[in-house]
Order: sequence, then C-alpha cells, then structure tokens
Amino acid sequence: MTSIPNALCFGQEFPATGAPCFVEVTATGLAIRFVGASDEDKVESVSFSSLTVSAGGFDHDQLVVKWVADRSERTLYLRESGLIRAFRQAAPPELTKPLEHTVEQVRRVRHRRRTALLVTGGVLAGLLLALWFGSDTLVEMAVARIPVEWEQKIGESAEKEFLAGQTVIHEGPAVTAVQEITSRLTDRLQDKPYKFHVTVVKSDVVNAFALPGGYVVVFTGLLTKAEGPEEVAGVLGHELNHVLKRHGLERIMKTLGLVAVVTILIGDQQGLIGLAKELGVELLTLKFGREQETEADVEGLKLLHRAKIPPDGMIRFFERLSEQEGGRVEWLSTHPMSAGRAARLKAEAAALSKQAPEPFTFDWQKIHESLGAAQLPAAKAE
Amino acid sequence: MKSEILYPGAFPMVRVELTAGETIKAESGAMVGASPTIDVESKMEGGFLGALSRKLLTGEKFFFQTLRASRGPGEVLLAPTVPGEIVIMELDGVNEYMVQKDGFLAGAESVKIESRMQSLSRGLLGGEGFFILKIGGTGPLILNSFGAIHKIDLKPDQEYIVDNSHLVAWSATTSYNIEKAASGWVASFTSGEGFVCRFRGPGVVYIQTRNPGGFGNWIRQFIPVSE
Repeated sequence: MTSIPNALCFGQEFPATGAPCFVEVTATGLAIRFVGASDEDKVESVSFSSLTVSAGGFDHDQLVVKWVADRSERTLYLRESGLIRAFRQAAPPELTKPLEHTVEQVRRVRHRRRTALLVTGGVLAGLLLALWFGSDTLVEMAVARIPVEWEQKIGESAEKEFLAGQTVIHEGPAVTAVQEITSRLTDRLQDKPYKFHVTVVKSDVVNAFALPGGYVVVFTGLLTKAEGPEEVAGVLGHELNHVLKRHGLERIMKTLGLVAVVTILIGDQQGLIGLAKELGVELLTLKFGREQETEADVEGLKLLHRAKIPPDGMIRFFERLSEQEGGRVEWLSTHPMSAGRAARLKAEAAALSKQAPEPFTFDWQKIHESLGAAQLPAAKAE
Repeated sequence: MKSEILYPGAFPMVRVELTAGETIKAESGAMVGASPTIDVESKMEGGFLGALSRKLLTGEKFFFQTLRASRGPGEVLLAPTVPGEIVIMELDGVNEYMVQKDGFLAGAESVKIESRMQSLSRGLLGGEGFFILKIGGTGPLILNSFGAIHKIDLKPDQEYIVDNSHLVAWSATTSYNIEKAASGWVASFTSGEGFVCRFRGPGVVYIQTRNPGGFGNWIRQFIPVSE
C-alpha cells in the first residue's frame, strides 16, 4: 500500500513525533500496521476491551486511544473523521459511554472557546464605545492632575509665539480700560489660581481669546465694535472662565489624544510640556466645544453680576452678533448660535438678584476715539 | 524536489532543486535567486478569503509566492528576513504542526497551510497572537527562526515549560496551557518571564534560541529619535 498513514502511534520505543501507522477498525478491535517496519505485513491487533479513550491534541480534535502492550504503554492519535466514526460505530457498549463522554467534552471545549471569543469581542467593543463616549470624563480626570504652573508655561510659550507676528499696544487709554475691566472681574473671583495677563493687540478682528494659564488676548476690533465697556466685560468674563474651567487644557488633551491622557493619569507628566510646545500655534486655533462655550457664558454672566457690571452689555453684544451671523464675523464658527446664547443669557440674568451697577472710571467714547485714530479705513467705514 | 541548507548558522540560505514542472510555495519576498527556467507566481493560498484572513489575522503575508519550474528543471535560493537557523522537515501526511506566524519559509506544493484560531487564553497570553498556522500534508516544509532552532522531544504525558515568545512550531498532538512563570503574579513579571507555556506530549516542540520581541526592545534604545 502506498497511501498515507492515518494515525500516529506513540510509546517509549517510538520517536517523539510518533510512528506513522495504518489503523483499521475490525469487529473485535483495532488492527495496526506500522509504516516502514522491517516486517511490513505484520499487523498488531488490539481488542476493544483493553482500550481507554479520551480527546487530545492541540485543537482537542483527535481521538486518543491508549492501551498497554508488552508492559509499555502505547498511545494512538486518530484524527481522520471517517476513522473516528467507524471506531464509534464498532465500539462495544462498555466503550460507548467513555466515547460519548469524550465527544461531549470536545463539544464543551469548542463551545467554551466560541463563547469566550464572543464575550471578549463584546467587551472590547464595549470598551471602545466607553472610551469614545466616556473620553470626556477621562480627559477631565487627566486635566485635574496637571499643575497650574505647567499650564502657565504652556500658555506663556503659546502667547509668545502668537504675539511675535502681531502689533501689541502697550499703553494708552484702551489698555488702561481693558486692565480696569479685567481687574474688576478678577477681584471677584473666589479662588485665584491664575495670574491673569491681558494683552491688547491691534487687529480689526472682533475677538478675544484665552490661553491656558491665564493669558488673555483682546483685539482692538472688539473694542471698536463694542458700544460700551459692559460688552467688553461680557466677552472677557466669558474668556476668563475658559481659563478657570481649564477648557484650553481639555482641548489640548483631546488633540494630543488618549495616549497623552493615559500617560498623565499614570503619572508621567513630564512629556506633556514638550508635546504642547510642539503644538504651539495649533494651540491658538483650538476651538472650544459647544458645552464649554455655554459653561463659559453662564459662568461669565455670574462673574459680571458679582463684579456689579450690568449683564445687559454681554447680552446685547450677542444679539448684535446674531444679526451679523452668516460668515462675516470670524469668531463664532464653533460657538453656539449667538441668538440662542443671548436668549439663554437673558433667562439666566433674569434669575439673578437686582443690584445697583458700579460704573467704570473711564469714558468709553474717548477710548473709541483713541482707537479710531489708529483704526484701519475698512473698519472705520462700518 | 531536493533541498539543502547553505551556510548553516546565523545567516543560512536554502537551495531547492526543482524538476521540470515542479513548484514550491514560499513566503513572499523569500526568493533570493533562481534559475531562468523558474517562474514566480503570486498565489493566494486558500483563495481570496483564506489569504485575506491569513493577512488580517496572522499577520502573514497576503500572498505566498509560488515558484514553478515551468521551462525545465532549475534551482531556487530562499532566505528568511531575520538572522537565524533554518530547518527542513519532511511531512509524512499524518504529522501536523502548529507554526507561529513568522516561522514559515517555504513548503512543497503538497504541503497544506491553514490559519487556525487559538483559544482565548492562548491568544491573549501565548505571545503568538490569536491566529497561528496549521501545516500538514506531505513533502518538505522549511521553517525559519530567530536564533538557532532547538528541538524538544516529548513522550506521551511528558511535560516541558517554554517561554511563550520562543516558540517556533509544535506537533498538533501536543497541547499546552498558559501559566504564570512563578507562583505569584509579581514574581512572574519581575523574573522577566511573565507567562510560560506548559507543553504536554506526545510530540515535538521547536523553539528559537532568541526572542524577537525582547531583541526589539533591546535595540530600540539605540535607535536615534528623529527630530
């Protein structure tokens, strides 16, 4: 016979890879003929009564038959399904029970394996979903662990980079006014982890922004557009709250990705400054999320109230912005729609107690005039 | 098909002589040189889905290359990517081997290769990933390793413990369980072993004398960080 052997026989006298052999199921047991043996036609017979059966092999898919021959134990591995079926059919009743037990065992192992893989798949998918939707919580936890000094370093370097390409206004009535508005607000803060630096930059962009660590930049465009200091105070109150609520850091963390978050949670915070510095300018273009904007709005309004600045200015400013919405004003792309913001702020303001406002010491008209001289013609025309 | 190992040791190469019309399949990219009578074909072993699953699941190459002596007899030179020993095994049709994904170098046309999913604990902790190759059939099978290859013979029920990242191939008649190297969790990891595989015979286990993952970690410290 030249066909391929259908079983492997193991035993002390055989090599570790086993002796290939041909196994046939007979009426009384198994007939085994070894390949390459000197007396190739010699057939070894084993009766069913001396056999024990179990399942074996790497995939648990082989039938292992054991018996004792000439005082040494022999083990036969059968893996051909036809052969195993023939064995099951021919086996006498006393072997049927262990055989069924073996089959049941194999079935259980396979079932358990499938279930385990399904469960793991499910858990992994669940974890991914949790990370996707729960990343906000993770980010907040990581942000809470960053010391304020580091935040200031990040903000400082980012501001330096930004101001390098801008015309900074160092003195004049506009600067004094912005400083007065800022200190009116910051004096009312309950806890002051940050030292706020406000810089006025000459630009006709109607905007102001806050960097992590308390670096606030106000564009002259905002000052010329504002009809009163209360409006500027409203915008500043909003921006200061981005800093206080560490919104910038949260956005950075989201940009840097989950890896950074996890690194910081674990305790390796050193790399963060380097990473943030690398971002540099990108930091400035970070957009806050809608929830963060709303939070900054509401907290800003409360701050105005504490500083005894009438909130109408802030509301009016948003109302005017909502009239212009449609792409002309650069700063509102990711902000909630101004009309909605104004409405929400009105509702919040109505809930606050009435109080007598404290006026500012400067004359807004004069500040407008001082800026008007330096204003670009295009902005003047408006 | 006749094969011989040239330059045995760390940088070996296999020379395979093919008679006219004979083919050999090899890991893609393994061919170093060939007679002009040899044609190289790309073949997706096991069809498109089989190849795709092998690529996605075991990380093996999508295509095996098939080298066919279509214009008369010739020879082919094959070499693995990593430095390390090569072994040639003659499959008898009844012995089957489980091979970790980087272990396969080449095999005769009559050698059958399929991807097999491992159980959860083996997949997660065994170090070979969830999918390994199950190789059977008849004819020469050429495996390669990282470092030298050491063969461990196991009699029925004989046990042996192997660090999981040193596995190359093992008989399908063996089975293994994943265990902690030491009795405690902390000791397991501080010993540097982590998880180990407890093999149970009968069968043979081929292990490599170097650990690719460990080597990677070691060499990483010398790679300059790009700006």
